[in-house]
Amino acid sequence: MQYLISEGSEMSSKSEGEVIRTIEEINDKIKRGDIVVTTAEEMIRLAESSGIEVAAKEVDVVTSGTFGAMCSSGAFLNFGHADPPIKMTKCWLNDVPLYKGLAAVDGYLGATSLSETRGFDYGGGHVIEDLVSGKKIELRAESYGTDCYPRRHIETTVTIDDLNQAVLLNPRNCYQTYDAATNSTDRVLYTYMGTLLPHYGNVTFSGAGQLNPLCKDGNYETIGLGTRIFLGGGIGYIVGEGTQHSPQTGFGTLMVRGDLKKMNDRYLRGATFHKYGVTLYVGVGISIPIINDRVAATACLRDEEILVNIRDYGVPVRPDRRPVVRRVSYKELRSGKVVINEKDVPSSSLSSYQMAIEIAEVLKKWITEETFFLTKPVEPLPRHTEFKPLELRKRELTVLDVMKKEVFTASPNEEIGAAARKLIERRIDHLPIVDRESKLIGIVTSWDLANAIAQEKKWLNEIMTRRVITARADESIDVVARRMSQHNISGVPVVNETNQIVGILTTDDISRKVVGGIAK
Amino acid sequence: MRMKLIYSPEVVEKPILAEIILRTGIPINILEAKVNAQKGELVVSIPVSGKQLDDAIRMFEKAGVKTNILARTLQIDMNRCTSCGACVSPCPTKALRFKPDWTIEFDEERCVACRVCVDACPVKVITVPG
Repeated sequence: MQYLISEGSEMSSKSEGEVIRTIEEINDKIKRGDIVVTTAEEMIRLAESSGIEVAAKEVDVVTSGTFGAMCSSGAFLNFGHADPPIKMTKCWLNDVPLYKGLAAVDGYLGATSLSETRGFDYGGGHVIEDLVSGKKIELRAESYGTDCYPRRHIETTVTIDDLNQAVLLNPRNCYQTYDAATNSTDRVLYTYMGTLLPHYGNVTFSGAGQLNPLCKDGNYETIGLGTRIFLGGGIGYIVGEGTQHSPQTGFGTLMVRGDLKKMNDRYLRGATFHKYGVTLYVGVGISIPIINDRVAATACLRDEEILVNIRDYGVPVRPDRRPVVRRVSYKELRSGKVVINEKDVPSSSLSSYQMAIEIAEVLKKWITEETFFLTKPVEPLPRHTEFKPLELRKRELTVLDVMKKEVFTASPNEEIGAAARKLIERRIDHLPIVDRESKLIGIVTSWDLANAIAQEKKWLNEIMTRRVITARADESIDVVARRMSQHNISGVPVVNETNQIVGILTTDDISRKVVGGIAK
Repeated sequence: MRMKLIYSPEVVEKPILAEIILRTGIPINILEAKVNAQKGELVVSIPVSGKQLDDAIRMFEKAGVKTNILARTLQIDMNRCTSCGACVSPCPTKALRFKPDWTIEFDEERCVACRVCVDACPVKVITVPG
């Protein structure tokens, strides 16, 4: 629990839980106009120069902020009834489908919902931004018609002012920290962590570190259900912990809501992650009342004290199993380079630190201008929540189920003509090339051989592909099929841990043997 | 100076660029190349100016290659940029970087117009003209 001040630390010698000030006292000071508010950055500087205890006495409220891609975001919208009315069963805004499993004219517009006409270029996040900026949006809906809602089709335009309610309700925002990303493979990866260059070519990360709201009250003593916050440039509230909230691993999250009509498109931006999908950048800021020394200590946490893992996104496994390359501080990440395998690797953020600073400043201004008062949470956030993976209870097809176990191989110093004859006799298209220990060292296909014969080449080792795309027997067919189509190949040798060949899988095997997800 | 060279079908197979490099001694750098049997389009960087540049342009034109000077490599709409940094670490030449106030700075001289940043930008404010 990296954010808890453990017993025996410098803070615990004193009665750290002793109340310095209450939220009621803070709100009185805001009304009187003598409140002392700093941003988290300013608080850190003050603590560095005068010590945490002095800073805790002087400063009433510390403001935090973050501005990053938050995919679990969306808005509940109510369109009002047309005449004659419609019970919308399907509904689109600018060709982006809404969730319509609600009452007649209620819908939920999810940030990652893709436009049915513009693909990755436009989606739910963009519609939210366009709504907030006051643009006219094309509304289309369909229905089956009922006695009370006879209309079956509607096409019109709406603006945010036409809607009865437009409520931003984000199931998961504002990660406390987030693991950084890199890529060990030999190709560029396009991920929700941005563009990851091959061979550990760069590192990307997200979150504002020392300005991150949940980091600034890591014990959740002042943040909880009912906390009033800055959300998308307007006022919002925390309505509980976010989905996947996992505080014990540093991954606390928040569920938040706010009136979209009062938000600002500077702090809500539709975005596209290349070849991944669309999302919404959300600005969140939380004011931390310095009620005791413990909260003061977390409010003073610096980038160098906030650590995350760098994970290898080149391994296509579930997020918590992606190999950890190393542990790193936000300070090192933000410095522009991190060291991996004794090499400097460029690093950069995906969330905007400049906007995080701006949000903390805006919130500070609201408080000093007496337009924003703090609230006491009705219920605290859970301090321990299990984040479980999804168990696969139905047996899935693996490579082992579909591959051919009998593999014809060749050695690198075989003649091309002999190899070609082998392929013809066996009616196969792929010839893995192995060394004496039957370890895979290359591959040739019938196409390679035809080419080689045309060019009058003689030996397999002149023409074989040495960087072979392979599969493992326990991998899911789904993943390997995607790998084959990505590399535009029709077969992969199946190898074990020591790179010995144990089978071969071809697109032919997949199309012949796999029907509706089961092996024939 | 960055320039687009457009080869017509008649000249697309001739080693014009190599000949001009050999004749002038200018180390012309190819930033981008799209060549097929019908047409060729190269984006090159020519590290000279004045008369030397004019001479090189004249040689290309004489050999049947159209030249198009590219004034700008990238255009970034700074009003819409969120300074997130998604373009910074993918940039292979460090042409995009953070300023001390955490806004983005673009160093045109370092840019090779590889377009990595165009794809990497989540809010699509980077474009490559021409």
